[in-house]
Amino acid sequence: MSAAGRSERPIPVGPKSVLLLTLVSLAGLAMFAWPLFRPAQPAAVQHAEDAPFIFVLILPLLVLLVLVQLTERGMDAKALAMLGVLSAVIAALRPLGAGLNGIETVFFLMILAGRVFGPGFGFVLGCSSIFASALLTAGVGPWMPFQMLASAWVGMGAGLLPERLFGKPVRGWREMAWLIAYGIVAAYLFGLIMNLWFWPYVSGFGQAGLDYVAGGPLLDNLRRFLIFTLVSSTAVWDTGRAITDTVLIAVLGPGVLAILRRAVRRANFDPVVEFDPVSGG
Amino acid sequence: MSIPTLTRLPAPTGPTGRNRGPLAAIRARVTIYGLPRALHPGAWWLWALGGAVAASRTTNPLSLALLVAAVSWVVVSRRAEAPWAMAFRLYLGLAGFIIAVRVGFRILFGADGSTILFDLPRIQLPDPFSITLFGPVSAEAVLSGLYGGCQLGAMVICVGAANALANPKRLLAAVPGALYEFGAVLVVALSVFPQLAESVQRVSRARRLRSGRGRRHFLRQVMMPVLADALDRSLDLAGAMDSRGYGQRGTVTARARHLTSGLLLLAAGGLCVGAYAALDTSGATPGWLGGAALAGGLALAGAAFRLAGRRARRTRYRPDRWRMAEAVVVLCGLAPALALSWLSRTHPTLAYPSVSPLVWPGLTVVELVGLLAAALPAWLTPPPPDRAATAQSDQTTEPDQGAKTA
Repeated sequence: MSAAGRSERPIPVGPKSVLLLTLVSLAGLAMFAWPLFRPAQPAAVQHAEDAPFIFVLILPLLVLLVLVQLTERGMDAKALAMLGVLSAVIAALRPLGAGLNGIETVFFLMILAGRVFGPGFGFVLGCSSIFASALLTAGVGPWMPFQMLASAWVGMGAGLLPERLFGKPVRGWREMAWLIAYGIVAAYLFGLIMNLWFWPYVSGFGQAGLDYVAGGPLLDNLRRFLIFTLVSSTAVWDTGRAITDTVLIAVLGPGVLAILRRAVRRANFDPVVEFDPVSGG
Repeated sequence: MSIPTLTRLPAPTGPTGRNRGPLAAIRARVTIYGLPRALHPGAWWLWALGGAVAASRTTNPLSLALLVAAVSWVVVSRRAEAPWAMAFRLYLGLAGFIIAVRVGFRILFGADGSTILFDLPRIQLPDPFSITLFGPVSAEAVLSGLYGGCQLGAMVICVGAANALANPKRLLAAVPGALYEFGAVLVVALSVFPQLAESVQRVSRARRLRSGRGRRHFLRQVMMPVLADALDRSLDLAGAMDSRGYGQRGTVTARARHLTSGLLLLAAGGLCVGAYAALDTSGATPGWLGGAALAGGLALAGAAFRLAGRRARRTRYRPDRWRMAEAVVVLCGLAPALALSWLSRTHPTLAYPSVSPLVWPGLTVVELVGLLAAALPAWLTPPPPDRAATAQSDQTTEPDQGAKTA
């Protein structure tokens, strides 16, 4: 990566970080999708559900491991302050949509910031904004690590959108189109995996069409889950979220992108100069 | 741990002054123990986790109700007067909502059961869904929804109790050195948050003065300046942090950094294997392997955290100490977890009362003792400091306010 490209990436993602991120993301995905992979259990064991509780403890640890790796070289003070301020803004935006049906005001800023500051920043921003808003509203709970990881993916994915396509930089209406399309996809996928993790807890209706069957064939359970999520949330909540994303990105996107890019220029995230002491041995 | 505090306080004056007996020393210790102070937030979290573990081991509505009562009593008697402490009622509401949703789903989707309570007309949905809605509502279905809802609700209330009792800012102060940057981001976010409200007010006032009309373009005309203002402030803050020596790095060699990354990767791998083994109950992975992988992953993660935290030495202003009261709180949380884990292993029919056939749930002495122990922090811990402080300040500020209004 050239020096100019690097200066726009306040939190660089090195090869080791990529490796750890991939591992943790795969493991996280498996923990979201655990109901689909669980083998059948003898009836006696079925009450003592250990796996989901162990996941609730392991998932935050895995997220913390990634955060340690990403910030391992120390974070630039400007990146840190910007992360903190953007987290506060997102935490302030979050309750705006809480009372209304499916209005999600959080993602658009996460997506735009991830786009401007890069995948590493997007990942950390997803984690820190959810954590900050949980601390502010006293909403720390077992659901928080799952929300953190899912939001981190949303921010990171926005940072991975192509910067140049066919030799031309993606800017202007093309960039808007990319971001809006990404916002819609992210809104539905977020709803889908958040439902998936929680499905067995609300399941057990005694209906073959909707119910979670422990140890059932993967595709059967997936089909049932898709019907369940379509009935319960996709039609209203996720569509509401997608519409909010689209409208906010379309209306506020160009302005917010300009503000964020101005901040990047002013901050001038230089490559950090490091002096490694020569070890004599 | 309590000895340094003992020496700092003025010695209680006994009848003879110098030759105080052991009784007076014990009395002094008890007095010091009971002095108002905020407990370590970690202690409250461990206590609440104990309650949540207990709730995860039973669906007996009697024990769950007892647990919720104990936890709520502690919250009411030991919470500080702070915004996060008031959030507890939200968690109570959320728990009620969970129970209502689970029972409502059972009625909506009409589960099987022989004891019919009342009958609702059936609605058959069109083909791709192949679902019938409503139909006869049985006591078994409603009760199974209720039991499951109570279990989840009790766990949510335990988490809410920890949120209400533990000061989130002190919790941030306990962030390990390896996560220093992330902790600092959160501290910045929490302290910038109140400024945003002020910024919004300023911008909307300027907008009114420019005769900005109504709600049209409200989002664009208020949101944009606020965001730009916030980002400008963040750069000022960064400058201030740089000038105060933030970013000072210790002498960490490249080799130590590689070692940290390697440890992080290994730890993640170990945790993944452990998680997989927990999921796999079919017996394909031996039980010891999962436990060993989990323990190894945890140990490696701890080592990586320690190593990464060494990159800069930091001192802490007024650290939260772990004293006697904290240990008492954690033990009180451990009691219900142990009692119900034991019960669910030895007497599963008591821990998970049967719904079909309908059985009246019962309680055992072990359960009762364990669950009541969860309520003990309400008496055994020192009261939070600001209650005593506000009681005093109310008395002192009252004449002042009277003068202002007069």
